[in-house]
Amino acid sequence: MSGATVMGPKFESQKVAYWFFATCMLLFSLQLVYGFIMGFAHMGYDGLHEWIPFNAARATHTNLLVVWLLTGFMGAAYYIVPEESNRELYSTKLAYVQLGSLVLVGVVAIIGFHLNWWEGRKFLEIPRELDYLVVINVLMFLFNIGMTALKGKRYTTTNMVLISGLVSAALLYLPGMIHFSNQTYDSYFRWWVVHLWVEGVWELIMGAILAYLLIKLTGLDREVIEKWLFIIVGITFLSGILGTGHHYYFIGAPAYWLPVGAFFSALEPLAFLGMAMWAVTTARKSQRNHPNRLALYWTVGCAVVAFVGAGFLGFAHTLPSVNIWTHGTLVTAMHGHLAFWGAYAMIVMGLITYAMPNLTGRKLYQSRIAHSAFWISNLGMISMTGAFAVAGIAQVYIERRMGMDFLAVQKEVEVHFFGLILAATLFTIGIILYIWNFIQYGLPVRSQAAVEETESVPGDVAPAAGPAMKRSLS
Amino acid sequence: MLSKSTARNFFLGTTILFSLVFLGMTVDTIRQTPKRTNAHNLTPLVAQGQKIWTDNNCMGCHTLMGEGAYYAPELTKVYERRGAAWIKMLIKDPQAMYPGERKMVQYDFTDQEIDALIAFFKWVGEIDLNGFPAEPDLAPKPVAVSGSSASAQSAAAGEPRPGMYDSICAGCHAIGGKGGSVGPALDDIGARMTEAELDEWLADPASIRPGTTMPQIPMSDDDRAEMAAFLAKLKG
Repeated sequence: MSGATVMGPKFESQKVAYWFFATCMLLFSLQLVYGFIMGFAHMGYDGLHEWIPFNAARATHTNLLVVWLLTGFMGAAYYIVPEESNRELYSTKLAYVQLGSLVLVGVVAIIGFHLNWWEGRKFLEIPRELDYLVVINVLMFLFNIGMTALKGKRYTTTNMVLISGLVSAALLYLPGMIHFSNQTYDSYFRWWVVHLWVEGVWELIMGAILAYLLIKLTGLDREVIEKWLFIIVGITFLSGILGTGHHYYFIGAPAYWLPVGAFFSALEPLAFLGMAMWAVTTARKSQRNHPNRLALYWTVGCAVVAFVGAGFLGFAHTLPSVNIWTHGTLVTAMHGHLAFWGAYAMIVMGLITYAMPNLTGRKLYQSRIAHSAFWISNLGMISMTGAFAVAGIAQVYIERRMGMDFLAVQKEVEVHFFGLILAATLFTIGIILYIWNFIQYGLPVRSQAAVEETESVPGDVAPAAGPAMKRSLS
Repeated sequence: MLSKSTARNFFLGTTILFSLVFLGMTVDTIRQTPKRTNAHNLTPLVAQGQKIWTDNNCMGCHTLMGEGAYYAPELTKVYERRGAAWIKMLIKDPQAMYPGERKMVQYDFTDQEIDALIAFFKWVGEIDLNGFPAEPDLAPKPVAVSGSSASAQSAAAGEPRPGMYDSICAGCHAIGGKGGSVGPALDDIGARMTEAELDEWLADPASIRPGTTMPQIPMSDDDRAEMAAFLAKLKG
């Protein structure tokens, strides 16, 4: 997209995104470390039990995932919203303050997990006191993004879908903060956050980023791409909202959730299928031979792997007659890993792959390291899914259906965790290559806007740490 | 050809429609939940147990109502399966109950806190969960028992067992093929040890065989005598 070769992004404030992406890389690396701790514990090597018991490793692993994905979405928003709104970010300084406070809350939460300070509710383990700080942080973010869009007065569909996804994600965090002593209510409203995020509003964010990337990479008509974006997110909500019912089968909620959850969650793969077909056909019709082929790999790969991981493997155990046996087994871990990788990790990594050459002005399009990273990480994750599948299916049959004791079953499936660790090693090599490539790009350089107006700094940007750093780089 | 505004209306229409249906169903779920969960039994003790469950992230290893992590056993029916006495012993010293096995965090809960957790488990076990967890449908039928253990079963079945046997001992030991497999089967324990030896052994296993994985079970002298007398009758 950028015409000049030595210049950075279109707008100076888009460089904020770089620091969000760098944070993603750091948190993602740490997430993998905790994944290995759990994998080894499952194999019987739990030497760290005294310091990092399994529940601490687990809470850290999943929360790091959520935080790095949200950091990635925020970085994506800071990159996309100025460009779609055709103006600088409302406040660069606020964005840096927001990133700093987000990291601070995250670090405190993770240390807390190791000191038995948490709220043991799956995926929402961050303690209540920190929840309030998260809310303030997200409000800062939404204010900054919202003001940028409002002042820009250029309301593209992609931008609006992205922002409404982010706003809805923030609103849906609130039901997770209500306290219940009744475990059924606790679980019921916890899924309002977790399910309606990942099978609802996060798909708005994912769809919008996909649309943005497809518009940029293929050069096809924005109107056509955005029309299909509406159709796809429409199918997402048509199926996903009542599809929440697949979490309500066995938690004490009424029995009508079984047929309702089954029917609508069986439709959920359609949204992912639509997304995959949309990405593949758009990419094939591409009118522009964009040099960043790898960004297109990640974009199309994201849509395809999301269909397999979230759509197909989700459907594999969503019907009540299957779920009665698989509920609460390693089968869930099988689905979870490929779904989060395909739908959300890959979209963030796709956007980073697209944005890095523009942010840094270095056009490392042909990097063999970056290409290897794409293939090795995907191969590794698909193999990990296979290892979880074998362990999970074995567990379902010998424990749930034949009645073998839990611990005896865990011994039976230990060998599959060896397979898991081998696959995870492959995956990790892919991620190390990706991060290596990220580092090779170096730091962001002066934007096109800044080069054009050399003498003046935008009025609302105070000469604080962020801008000072930028000046020293340019 | 479908226009963009039609596509937008489809998106907005389905979102609003299904959000409203979802809210309506939520209202009805909230209406039915007190009865399905026996909310009248949700005492302050149960609520305290739920808080302990949450504060210690028990879900980070176990599942409850099938939700949580997959590192430790499903606990929805743990009260029915193990009983209060066994749960209490396990929480006080998990490693003693499962020596050399996957570890559980050693919590320093008070007796009152453990009672609260047990009350919580009992309450959860009584919720109407639409049939979860299902009974194993492919489990081998307990008909084909081999010769020696069949006779042991009939011999043991004739003996009235102390209440503590089923709630504690059976967690690790088996008689007639029924029970745990952590410790040795007890079908012929009476042929291997006398009543006096058994009594001494139960009082302090480690003093007789240092390093044994058998925990010292807290029980009164009378209970121990009753248990030793029962075990001494199991001659295989």
